Amino acid sequence: MHSIFFFAMIPILASAVAENPGTFEIIQQTFGLKGPFFIAQVINFFLVIFILKKFAFGPIQTMLEQRRARIADGEEKLKQIEQQLAASEQTTAAAIAKANEEAIRLVNEAKQGATAFTEQKAQEAIAQAQQILTKAEAAAKADRDRLSVELKREFGRLVAATTAQVTGKVLTADDQKRINEDALAQIEG
Amino acid sequence: MRAVSGMTRRSFIITLLGWLACLVPALASGEGEHHALPLNAQQILGPFTNSTIMVWLAVGLIVLFCRAATRKMALVPAGFQNFAEWAVESLYDFLGGLLGEHLVKRVFWFYGSIFFFILVNNYMGLIPGVGTVGWNTVDSAGKQGFLPLLRGANADINMTAAMALSFALLWFYWALTENGLKNFLMHIFAPKGSFHGLMLALMVPIFLFVGVLELISIAIRPVALTFRLFGNIYGGEQTTEALMALVPAKLAFLPALPFFFMELLVGFVQALVFTLLCAIFLKLICDHGDAEHA
Repeated sequence: MHSIFFFAMIPILASAVAENPGTFEIIQQTFGLKGPFFIAQVINFFLVIFILKKFAFGPIQTMLEQRRARIADGEEKLKQIEQQLAASEQTTAAAIAKANEEAIRLVNEAKQGATAFTEQKAQEAIAQAQQILTKAEAAAKADRDRLSVELKREFGRLVAATTAQVTGKVLTADDQKRINEDALAQIEG
Repeated sequence: MRAVSGMTRRSFIITLLGWLACLVPALASGEGEHHALPLNAQQILGPFTNSTIMVWLAVGLIVLFCRAATRKMALVPAGFQNFAEWAVESLYDFLGGLLGEHLVKRVFWFYGSIFFFILVNNYMGLIPGVGTVGWNTVDSAGKQGFLPLLRGANADINMTAAMALSFALLWFYWALTENGLKNFLMHIFAPKGSFHGLMLALMVPIFLFVGVLELISIAIRPVALTFRLFGNIYGGEQTTEALMALVPAKLAFLPALPFFFMELLVGFVQALVFTLLCAIFLKLICDHGDAEHA
């Protein structure tokens, strides 16, 4: 709409330019383009820019810049924290893995130690049992030998007594010895 | 089905009322006195015109808003600060996408100022009374005229020309400092692309001619910027006032009402167009293309 209005001015201006040689003067007169007003508006415009830069864009852009820097700083810190966390996780994982290895090693060592200790104690128990058995066997053998000697002596005395009673003869020591030896030989034989 | 029918009927009635509102000025008999906004700004005192007053009112408004927004700046924004930061950051990112990170950091103070300044001035020109409240005048030849107390700043060609010329000067400064004099001239006159031998000899005069055309284009840019903004804003105000004058005074608001909504859009679009064109002009001279950088 406005463009139509604006372009409608063009033929008017064109005809005016054709009739009069001073085109710039015509534009000046038609639209009121005057030196002092123009210069005043240029000065106004630069003052406007200065004021807007100082009071409007300056503080706002500074704040936006601060926020951008803060966000960038935050992002950087976040990256650092993530890296530290990753490093910490790696360190923790490595420590846990090492602790696991150590624990496994300790458990294995404990198992081995326990097995050796058990074996040692078992061996000791076996040795002790063996000793007890040997001692018991020795004691039993000693008892048996003693009883055998006693039995032999009693048997000999009984044989000699019986022989003396049966024969009615007083036996000499040699007889008694010979009879005893014969009787024992027959029993053991 | 009934609901759809109801909606269609409602839309039809609203559309019809809209059309009738637009037809009112055409059917009206032209009652009321029409004070057409003069083409040129009127002197108030010395170099100050009725549009200068609007410039400083707009600046005052922007500064008041910015002071309110930046009075208690916090890292977690709220209220005015939030809105101001959203507006500035959105424009910064938008221009950053066009100009690149380096350039936008360097020139945002200008582009941000020019966008918000034009936008606020365009909207302030829509405030009832601006361009319509004033007094009748009679010149020495006995011709009757009308002198509005306030005039939309962008409906004054001195203001739009001041902005366009300021940009043109800054454009030269930025183009030279970014490119250097040699590259600046090469950018305008040197053949684009890789030519060798006879082809290069043929291309040199062509691109010299293209460079001359480019210089003409550069010279015309501030003129185009000036008249585009002035024409659109002045035309809008004139259209609105003409429509209001076509109906009885008590109904004057009615035909202008739809145009106010359009003017809100036009005000924003024109601010954006001026800023965008300035950004594109700068990008064109500072852009060497990725291939050239590589």
